[in-house]
Order: sequence, then structure tokens, then C-alpha cells
Amino acid sequence: MRVVHYLNQFFGGLGGEEQAGMLLEIREGAIGPGKRLEQLLGSETQVALTLICGDNYAVEHQDELIASALEKIRAAGADLFIAGPCFLAGRYGVAAGALCKAVQSQLEIPAITAMARENPGADLYRESLYIIDSGESAAKMDEVLARLACFARKVSFNQEIASPAEDGYIPRGLIRDQFVEKTAAERLVDMVIAKAKGQPLESEMVPATFERIPMPPRVKDLKRAKLMLVTDGGLVPKGNPDKIQGAAATRWGSYSIKDCDDLKGEHYEISHGGYDPQFVRQDPDRLVPLDVVRELEKEGMIGKLCDEFISTSGLANPLSNTRRMGREIADKAKRLGIDAIILTST
Amino acid sequence: MALALALHPITNLIFGDKHRLDGNLLTVDVNELRRMVLEDNAFDSVEFEIVRPGESCRAGPIFDIVEPRAKAPGGSPDWPGILGLPHTAGFGTTHVLQGTAITMLREQSPGESRGVTGYVLEMSGEAGSASCYSKLWHLIVIPHTKPTTPRHTRHKAYRMAQLRVAVRLAQIARDVAPADSQILDNFIDAERAALIRVAYVGQIFSRQRKPEPEEQIIYGANTDGMLPTLLHPNEWLDGAITTSYHTSIGGAETYFYQNNPIVAELYRRHQRGELNFVGTVVTIAAADNLDRERNTQFAAHLVKWALRAEAAVLTKFGGGVPHSDLAETARLLERDGIKTAVQVTDLARDHRVESALLFNFPEIDAIVCIGGNGTRWKLPRVERVLAANGGMAEILAGPFEIDSLNVAGVANQQGASRLRSVVY
Repeated sequence: MRVVHYLNQFFGGLGGEEQAGMLLEIREGAIGPGKRLEQLLGSETQVALTLICGDNYAVEHQDELIASALEKIRAAGADLFIAGPCFLAGRYGVAAGALCKAVQSQLEIPAITAMARENPGADLYRESLYIIDSGESAAKMDEVLARLACFARKVSFNQEIASPAEDGYIPRGLIRDQFVEKTAAERLVDMVIAKAKGQPLESEMVPATFERIPMPPRVKDLKRAKLMLVTDGGLVPKGNPDKIQGAAATRWGSYSIKDCDDLKGEHYEISHGGYDPQFVRQDPDRLVPLDVVRELEKEGMIGKLCDEFISTSGLANPLSNTRRMGREIADKAKRLGIDAIILTST
Repeated sequence: MALALALHPITNLIFGDKHRLDGNLLTVDVNELRRMVLEDNAFDSVEFEIVRPGESCRAGPIFDIVEPRAKAPGGSPDWPGILGLPHTAGFGTTHVLQGTAITMLREQSPGESRGVTGYVLEMSGEAGSASCYSKLWHLIVIPHTKPTTPRHTRHKAYRMAQLRVAVRLAQIARDVAPADSQILDNFIDAERAALIRVAYVGQIFSRQRKPEPEEQIIYGANTDGMLPTLLHPNEWLDGAITTSYHTSIGGAETYFYQNNPIVAELYRRHQRGELNFVGTVVTIAAADNLDRERNTQFAAHLVKWALRAEAAVLTKFGGGVPHSDLAETARLLERDGIKTAVQVTDLARDHRVESALLFNFPEIDAIVCIGGNGTRWKLPRVERVLAANGGMAEILAGPFEIDSLNVAGVANQQGASRLRSVVY
């Protein structure tokens, strides 16, 4: 097995911070920690090339680094790419993560790195890669290399990857399916007995934690405010012109309500499973409250209603979609000078 | 309240001119069953097919799967509230044609999130071996209702025909000595006083969809106006609950109410002296917050004060929103010192942990997660395709790709699933 190994200038033995600007350099064979790594990977494995790059150059010229590194790795006929271990070195971790991701997707060979959980590279690349948890201390180099080598062999030989705790990688935050011997009922009763007895148990899912979103400041003067209506209840014009999916929607649409005081069921449809849409079909104002907002507008209680309303489907929508769509919708609202939004859900 | 299951294992199912049970061989008189089904004038005609375990066969879309069972005289009634008055289920003797199922097809795909194929019975190959149902002998009932039949009438006709066929067949076992029998009773005596008291809280419907007027879910009622209530474990097993007409969306079939894996597992541990199975609460997921508050408060209250449980297992029905009802009930129980474990489905279509659950209460930390979003199969062509019309047969002929959630008996929400999510 042929391995290409990436190191920063420091671990590559080419200097400290004063060399952080150095361009990518190539060395035949193993260098520094790569020598031990080569031993640990076993007798049929050799580190064919070592790539060494300055930390600043790697981060500031990431695209150039990746392009030339990919070319070298391809030319070397590598079966495996390893970067680091990087421990807490942030620029090193980011470069190692970026290189591994590029190698994995473009060369389709395994690419593995190691760094501390607190390394910014871990945050950026933990989802895309297996990153061995190195801890913070470079004094543990030998032990980390041993775990890295062991895991790299496992991946190279297509062995089943165990849990993050067992295999020592940073949890990727992903889910895969597995068929198991015990039925869900047996697992469930096992769990409740363990919990009641205060024994350890392995939950099959972990609740995510979310940052608190602070309450936005109040609208200063509603009488002058420009208001927009947004819904995730899937109300779309007949024919669903933007083809907004009824579940896990990846798109949202913006629809004119200029000169309209009341939404009519015959002009709209619902692209949203999971709730009973018959009442909205009868009268879409039940979901997008145009009729009452127009009254408020006429009474002068709000300044002006935006000429378009925005709609998507919230059903079974992963956060990766909704975050992006939320950002896009907020950008649009900002561009239009919107002061306040009424967001209706189902 | 004791229920005796008289078990008649079946290892061969054939058509013949008279219903007979000879040892493990079950002979079915199709003409008699046809006459019985056609008494309901919603039907134009009906076909019956036998499918054997592991056969290169695919059938769909599935309406429901039912185990043929019949009550011996003197016990509770067959399917109370559906085939007779809604009197309490769950006592006396029930004859079971074990290893078989009456499987009713529907004429149209239920649509929505189930795609064009609907919910499929797959008997062979990789997908088949992942399904609990591929190990059974199926008597497939293929309905042809009159085109003018309203949807809700058609669904009810499917339900009635299926249960009548199932009971009729199992009745022939009433005069036959069973190969084995099982007594189910959750008595608690003085010696068991120290064991932990465990309850089961199960959702049987989600009001995300308004049930059809005559949709039969609990003792023949459609859950309109229903509050959580106590059920004896035997009621689950013996005909109190039938699944929603939209089986696939719930991930629940009547077969696994009759063979409820959670009730069975709690009984098993009860009988082994590991716990006290103190009873069950049956509940529904709400369509709005007021109902959700009311239901979850009632369910938790029953577990605490009526069952005096110290621990509870909870399951949900259907899709996303029922997570909230389940989690809120568990949160209330934990608040009152009752330890919980919950069973959920994986909602993360992007395979990310952050999207998997609709709750994040730290005290709900014992979670069984039925996966499914990461499992798809390419179904090959099979030798036999059973469907109610040519169009559907053509779609089901394959090859096509299918989500595990659309194969009956894989990502089951009643506790039968051997699929799980693994976080990595």
C-alpha cells in the first residue's frame, strides 16, 4: 500500500513560525512522524511521498495547495492519504481537513487525519471525514500515531467502522442504519430496566443541542413598518410553479399579492404532507392571513404590506435545508427593507 | 384477566374444496370465502392467492396484514366494536393460525409520502429478508370494489372483509387440539412487590390526518374525542386495536397489535420475574397544542396514579409531529420521577443527528431509534406480482428502487423492527 503523508513546516522539520509562509514542498519517503507511522502501518506499506507546507500559506492559498497536492498524490499512485496529527494547531488542522476532503471526493481513496476536538479544523470537517481524536498534547504523538495507523488499516481494508468511542474518531454527527439481532421492543425494555436501575445504557439517538436565538428587538413603530407574510405551510399558486416539494423542501417561492385583499382557494394548492390541508384549501387566509392584515393596513395600524408572500414546506425538513432557506428568505426581506415578518406554520 | 393463546403452527397452506386443518396443513375453500366477502355489495369481485415464505413474489399496495385468530366460545368476542358489540377484549381462549397472515391489498396507492408503489409486501431477496412478513404464509385478498364506492366505504369494506376472512379461517382450529398454548396474565402477587413497576404508553393514531368517519381504530371507533385510556395488555393482543386505514403512514399493521412485540416483551420479563408489568395506556398524537397538552397530561397522570408505575416505555405512531406528544408525555413522567425509554423513528432525511428528533429534553436520554432513511433497495423483477389492477402490477413488476420505509415489516413502529439508527 502506498501512502502520501501531509505535514506542516514544523512537524516536517523545516522550521517554526518564521517558515509559516513556505510553499508546498515534496520529499520522497517518510519524514518526522511519518517514519513511525510507516512502521505502524505494517510491512507492506510505505510512505511514498511526504508533502510539507507552511501553515499560513496552506490557509491563505488553500485552493492552490489542494490543486498541487492532488496532482502529486495522483502521480504517486497513492492508496491512502494521511494528514497530521495536528493536535491543537488550528491552521494545520484546517489545511489537513481541506486536503483530506478533497482527496476523498476527487481521488476516491481513503483520507484520514487526526486532531483535537477543539481544533477549528474539526468543526469544519468532522462531518465529511473520519478524524481521529488526538487530544491536545503533542507529547502523546506515539499513541495517536498508533491509533491513526490502526484506523487507517481498518478503512483501507474496508472493515466495519465501529462507534466514535470504540474507534477513537471525533463524532461526525451522522446517522447510518444497521440491522441488529434484537427487536426494537427488546432494546426498549432493556433500556428502561437499565435506566430504572441506574445502570449505564447506550441511547440509539442523542438529542441535538441548539444555540439560543435571542428575541429580536420589538418593532419600533408598527404604523410605519413594512410587513411581510411568510409561511412554511406549503401554500403555492395552482400548479406549484416553483415545484416546491411537499416534504423536505429544498426550495421556497415568492408570490404576488399585489392588489389582492383576500386569498381564494381556487387559485392555490398545498404542497405539504403531514397535516390535514382541507381548511386551508377552503380559505388560504387561514394560513397566510392576508385578509386581516389588509384591514390592519387600511386602518393604519401597520405601514405597508409587502407585495409578495413567501412560502415553503416545513414537513420533515432537515435543518441543513431550513437554515439555508431561512438565510435566503432573510436576505430577501432585508433587500426589500422589511421591518417585520409574520411567520405562520402548521 | 387471563388470555390463553391456543397456537396452531401452520407450515403449509393450500386451496381445497373445504376448510380443513390437518396437523400443520391448512386447506382453504376459496369459494366459501368469496361468497362471504361478496355479501358486502361494495365488492364487485374478489380474488385470493397463496404466497409462501420466501417466494419470489411481491404484492401491493398493502391495506393491512392480519393474523387469523378466532375466539373460543365463552371468552371475549372476535374484534369487538367491528364484528360485534364493543365489549371488553382479552380474555378466554383464542385460536391462532400461527405462521400465516391474511393480507389485504388496496386498489390505489395511498399516495402522499409513500410514492407510486405504496406499501409493498416483499417476500424474497435482500428486502424480503429484512421484513418480518416474508417468513409467513400469506393468503392475499385482492379486492375489486364497485367504481362508485366512496373512499371511506371502500376502506371499511376492506377492513370488514379481511377480519371476517381471518376469523372464519381460524374458527376451523377451534375443534383441534393446539400444538402449544400460552397463558397471558399480569397478576402481581406479594412475592413480586419488590420488582420495578413498568407501564407501556402506546400511540395508536396521529390526528395529523383526520380519521375517516367510520375508520376503525379502537373498539371500532375512529378516535374522535378520544382521551388516553387504560387498556389491559391482553386487549392490545386480542382485538381491541386495529390499525388506521393508512397503515403505511403509521408503520403499524394489525398483525403486530395481535403480536404486539412490546406487550410480549414486557410479559416475558414479567413472567421471568424481572419486572412488574402493571398495564398500558393507549393514546393518540394530537393535531393542535391544546389537545396535545390534554392528552399528554392525561396519559402521564394515568401512568402515575392509576398504574402507579415507576418506569414506562413509550411508542409513537406516524411521522414527525407525534414525536412531540411522545416526548411531552415522557417529560411529564420524568418530572414525576418515572423513568422512561422511548422508541422513535429517524426523521433526518439528510442523515444528520441534528435533524433526527423533534425534541431535546435532556431527561429523555434512553431512546430506541428505528432507522430507515439510510436504507434503500433495488428490487429486482420477481416471478409473481400481485396487485388489484394491471397498472399497479406493471409498476410493481420492477426493477425499481424502494425506501425501506415502503417495505412492510421493516421499519415497523410497534417494536418489531430489527433496524436501528447508529450515530457516528
